[in-house]
Amino acid sequence: MQNLLEFLQKYHHWFLFVLLEVISLVLLFQYNSYQGSVWLSSANAVSGKVNEGRAEVESFFSLRQMNEGLTLRNFYMERQLSQLRRLYSEATEDTAGLWAKEMSFLKQYRMIPAKVVTNELNRQDNLLTIDRGTKDGVEVGMGVACGQGVVGVTYLVSDHYAVVMPVLNTASRISCAIRGHNYFGVLRWNGKDAGVAYLEDIPRHARFKRGDWVETNGYSSIFPPGVLVGKIETVYNSDDGLSYRVKVRLSTDFGHLRDVVVVNDPSIVERTRLLQSARDSLKLNVKE
Amino acid sequence: MSSDIFKRAGLFIAFALAQALVLGRIHLFGCATPLFYVYFVLLFPRNYPKWGVLLWSFALGLIVDIFYNTPGMAAASMTLIGAIQPYCFEMYISRDAAESLQPSMDNIGWVKYFYYSLVLVIVYCLVFFTLDVFTFYNWLEWIKCVVGSSAITLLMILTFETVRGRQE
Repeated sequence: MQNLLEFLQKYHHWFLFVLLEVISLVLLFQYNSYQGSVWLSSANAVSGKVNEGRAEVESFFSLRQMNEGLTLRNFYMERQLSQLRRLYSEATEDTAGLWAKEMSFLKQYRMIPAKVVTNELNRQDNLLTIDRGTKDGVEVGMGVACGQGVVGVTYLVSDHYAVVMPVLNTASRISCAIRGHNYFGVLRWNGKDAGVAYLEDIPRHARFKRGDWVETNGYSSIFPPGVLVGKIETVYNSDDGLSYRVKVRLSTDFGHLRDVVVVNDPSIVERTRLLQSARDSLKLNVKE
Repeated sequence: MSSDIFKRAGLFIAFALAQALVLGRIHLFGCATPLFYVYFVLLFPRNYPKWGVLLWSFALGLIVDIFYNTPGMAAASMTLIGAIQPYCFEMYISRDAAESLQPSMDNIGWVKYFYYSLVLVIVYCLVFFTLDVFTFYNWLEWIKCVVGSSAITLLMILTFETVRGRQE
């Protein structure tokens, strides 16, 4: 007993060392599956506040440029909208009534404006933090977009902050389609170039060309259909040769991300519940 | 002792904020990130309680982790170099050196200080980036990160140490 106590006394710092290492490794390996670790992420209140202050200072220096970009884009959109409205009324010979009805589907998505407080590009699994949380109506699994296009999906949410898994994360999967052709695939990132992602599982019979736009398809109900993703740059065959793998130049500039919106679709709960019950009933049928 | 705690706590906050606000956002050539908080571990004097070194290092690692969403990575690496720091420092000083000798360029000389910091920084970067690419076998990227970050961190520590030596 005496010896044991002496032993412990002499080497107690090694026990502490092992204990601390175990704690660290548990944190490391549990993080990805353990959703409750919000307070250990950049979404916790203290680090959120610090980062918010820094982002505030940084924004002073980039506001002018951002304003110019937004004004240009807004102008372009207005022109496109008026052109489309004219074409639409010509094609349907209808007045504002039908148009308003068509546009009403946009209203089911509630947009929550947010600011990016931390952002990273250089890792395999990049994450970013925004300054809106459960108190503002943000929940896990909501889509995040910005003026230029798609950003990512919320991953961890605390009261006032949320961690977003952007497209630039090797674990990110976003369902997308090629504009005008409606072939859909899954957008993934390979962990290298921050300006490029890959659209996978495009069927072999699909016909499209370089320069076509890729946008979200709305099947996942995380994003409304038609949110811009990027432009097709190159087309490859997939590894197994059964589908196409499309290299997409992302339209979102992740290096200058500041203002984003969280897309909140109230029908998402209903849709996921329906899908889940369909899956469950399929499983039951298979068992029988 | 209590004044030491306040001094370390001040340093602790300074290192954490510097890393969170400025240094952690620098990525030269896409790989070299200054991990200047390693310097915090290098500063512990001879015969400082080993459990103290461990706890301080672990805590700073954890704070850095929280800011960069890398739970456990910096904490595990910092704890490791916190454990080997006393032994590493012991290697570069003579047996009859002062009881609570402060590791600094003036006290142990330029060359010894260089090796002392080199060992700890390299060990830190090795462990840190190994944990980072654990699931991702991209060895070239890994080597680039280790070498780049070690070099820039070491450069910052040595520069800082030189400036500090001149002021005193």
